Amino acid sequence: MKVIWSNIEDVWREAAARWTLVAYFFLSTIFIIIFASAINLDIVDGALAGAKLFGKQVEMRGNEMSIEKLVLGFESGFSAVLYFLCTFLAIFATAHLVPRLQEKGTIDLYLSRPVSRTKLLLSRYFAGLLLAGSNVVYLLGAIWLIVLWKTHVVHPRFLAGGLVILFVIATLLAFAFLVGVITSSTAVSIMTSYGLFFFSLMLAAHDRIAAAVSHEWQAWVIQTLYWVIPKTAELGTAVVAFVSGNALPKEMNAMLNPQPFLTTAAFGVVSLILAVWRFHKNEF
Amino acid sequence: MTDSLIEVRALRKEYRSGIGRPPIVALDGIDFTVRAGELFGLLGPNGAGKTTTVKIVLGLTAATNGSAFVSGLPVSNPESRRRAGYLPEGHKIPGYLTARQAMTIFGRMSGMSTEDIKLRIPELLERVRLSQWIDMRVKKFSKGMTQRLGLACALVHRPNVLLLDEPTDGVDPVGRREIRDLLRDEAKNGTAVLLNSHLLSEIELTCDRVAVLRNGKVAAEGTIDELTRKSAKYKMVVAPVDDSLVSMFRETGAIVDRVNGHLVLSVDDLQHLNTLVDGLRARGSILSELAPVRSTLEDVFVDLVREVHSERSEESTEPPQ
Repeated sequence: MKVIWSNIEDVWREAAARWTLVAYFFLSTIFIIIFASAINLDIVDGALAGAKLFGKQVEMRGNEMSIEKLVLGFESGFSAVLYFLCTFLAIFATAHLVPRLQEKGTIDLYLSRPVSRTKLLLSRYFAGLLLAGSNVVYLLGAIWLIVLWKTHVVHPRFLAGGLVILFVIATLLAFAFLVGVITSSTAVSIMTSYGLFFFSLMLAAHDRIAAAVSHEWQAWVIQTLYWVIPKTAELGTAVVAFVSGNALPKEMNAMLNPQPFLTTAAFGVVSLILAVWRFHKNEF
Repeated sequence: MTDSLIEVRALRKEYRSGIGRPPIVALDGIDFTVRAGELFGLLGPNGAGKTTTVKIVLGLTAATNGSAFVSGLPVSNPESRRRAGYLPEGHKIPGYLTARQAMTIFGRMSGMSTEDIKLRIPELLERVRLSQWIDMRVKKFSKGMTQRLGLACALVHRPNVLLLDEPTDGVDPVGRREIRDLLRDEAKNGTAVLLNSHLLSEIELTCDRVAVLRNGKVAAEGTIDELTRKSAKYKMVVAPVDDSLVSMFRETGAIVDRVNGHLVLSVDDLQHLNTLVDGLRARGSILSELAPVRSTLEDVFVDLVREVHSERSEESTEPPQ
């Protein structure tokens, strides 16, 4: 526990001293402010009379849309944006953790303590995840509170959607740790993690890509890659589906099946195990 | 039951140098022990394997063969570092931390309680003269201050084994003396200190025993006294000193230098020296002083390193460029 606590303190102090923490929460705050000022609701006698988003009138389709439906629409849409925002900021804020730890003159100070390498790396991972998680809580929590303040509608599923976002961050952070342990480069860790994220988005169309390639082995590679790497597209859709509940079409709710979660979790766990194995093998 | 706190047995380390190339041998079966309360110096030219040895002892690098133990535990066991303090050469204590924060983090990682750390920090910073800067960020420290803080971090958990790589690097002369005194105090309290330094005078002033590494092997080991006495040089004050006397000595194989009116003789052993004295008396010369000339540790070190260079030159078949 002392090791975990030491690493949390170290990671947070570093984030604070290097302005990462400030930038991280500053960018999040800007987004929150934009969101807060973008929504203008006209509520008369507790009923929604009109709504504006970014100055544009929201189509009310007569008097059919209730305030609850509007909140659900807002939060579903914003959860997709937050999925990308939280993931990108998290990787940017934490990808340096291993390369900086492995710097000559620094790693000696940590490894000369009575701490196993597994414990040291996993403590660092947990500390990084906590930092990213705090930002997810800050972003989603603030937006949820703004919606609550403006509409008095309580919709806890929006907050719970943060768990799916955190799950994706945990997977990508495990991958960033693996790359960091191998290359000791922050830049490479960030680039490869973002690359993995986008490549995975493209592979959402794996069936169509596999059908379009000219050789069978190419199709096999595409399908294998799809099953191996994290399902960032499916999980993004799952965030929206989770926040929306039953308000979305059946195809979208179908994303809430366990397959993308299980294969992504497997990728994250394997990445972390490989990172620990390689960290043990590294000579400093 | 042994009181050896650091024990190195037949330690060998090879580094891969590329496909198809033979491995580079950094350590070639070295042995030494450091006992409780002993200040042990590790010397050697660049690339001799000093830092590799220390890193193996701390589990930072794995040995190819052989074994190393700290406090009786194999170095592969993290518990062997429970009471080991390390000051690496060119260490980088994160600059965003203050002295207090750095010591707290490293103390906690060594298993100390928060209360114990709170008591220990002011006491140690006082000893390394950093009390005034306890809450200043490390990035604002001078090199000497950083070095003293590194030493405080190495000592924070009251280790009984200390491994120090160039501990006085960048420290002013007063600070060096203070560090020497501090290390002696630690040794008096039973700590085994392994000192790795290029500053031979520092080793000479601080250590009880040294090992000189050369080509990955222990080329010489012993107390400073033993090592510096090995060189059989004598100062001879004799009258009269003339060329015939010098020639007579040289005929026996002695190396003779005339220095400020006296002679400096390099002889094979005491028997050889006595032969020279007998010859001197047979000539009727008056011997007024005969005393061993003690080498400095630097002389011993340079002689050992020169042997390596000459061996390498003899081995080299490359034509000069």
